[in-house]
Amino acid sequence: MLVLSRKIGEQITIGNSVKVTVLSFDRGIVRLGIDAPKSISVHRKEVHDKIVEVNQKAVKTETKALKSVIASGQIQINENIPKNNIEAPAINFSANKES
Amino acid sequence: MTEDIKIVNTLHFGDMEVEPSHIFDFEGGMLGFEDLKEFVLVSHEDYDPFKWLISIDNPDIGFPMLNPFFLDEGYKAGKDIDLEKEVVFCVVTLGGVGEIMTANLKAPIIMNISQNKGRQIILTSDKYSPTYEIKIK
Repeated sequence: MLVLSRKIGEQITIGNSVKVTVLSFDRGIVRLGIDAPKSISVHRKEVHDKIVEVNQKAVKTETKALKSVIASGQIQINENIPKNNIEAPAINFSANKES
Repeated sequence: MTEDIKIVNTLHFGDMEVEPSHIFDFEGGMLGFEDLKEFVLVSHEDYDPFKWLISIDNPDIGFPMLNPFFLDEGYKAGKDIDLEKEVVFCVVTLGGVGEIMTANLKAPIIMNISQNKGRQIILTSDKYSPTYEIKIK
């Protein structure tokens, strides 16, 4: 790991497009200002890790359980809401067409 | 056209005929699944109104998803989203019957249907939870 010492107001650059500025340091908390193009997403690591964890859980979703909960009609969602104006192209299965 | 159709053997739906127009390019992959670059959206009666995002690179991988507007009428997936061209979904989890079902409102999936491109973004707002509970009566 590269380790750099910086004073308040000083910066580091990452690549050609990312700039990090040390804004303040107070009671053990460092505040950083980050300038990055929109294509680079910047988040607290724990937020990023949480999303990874949720995605990993999602792919293990029990299909049987999901089907049975849906079939029970007990899921509280409101489908009558004006939603996306458009439909994404999807592969459609109906139960009888399933291979 | 027909010669471009490929058969993909998926865990969730068995053999699936995939046309090029079905394939969405996820340049950055999904978070935690950065190697998976191509996905298709699948609708199946048994799962309606849920959809599945199935990986072409690894067809054992599928994400159940829901339209976030079904959960929150005023949902905002960031100000750059163009709902004329982009469709928004959130990733759903369900460990098993009797367990909590969650929707990830913090990191929506944005699918651009004019370019067939997709991405998962993380919203900066603290308003949305990655594990929003979908209530089951």
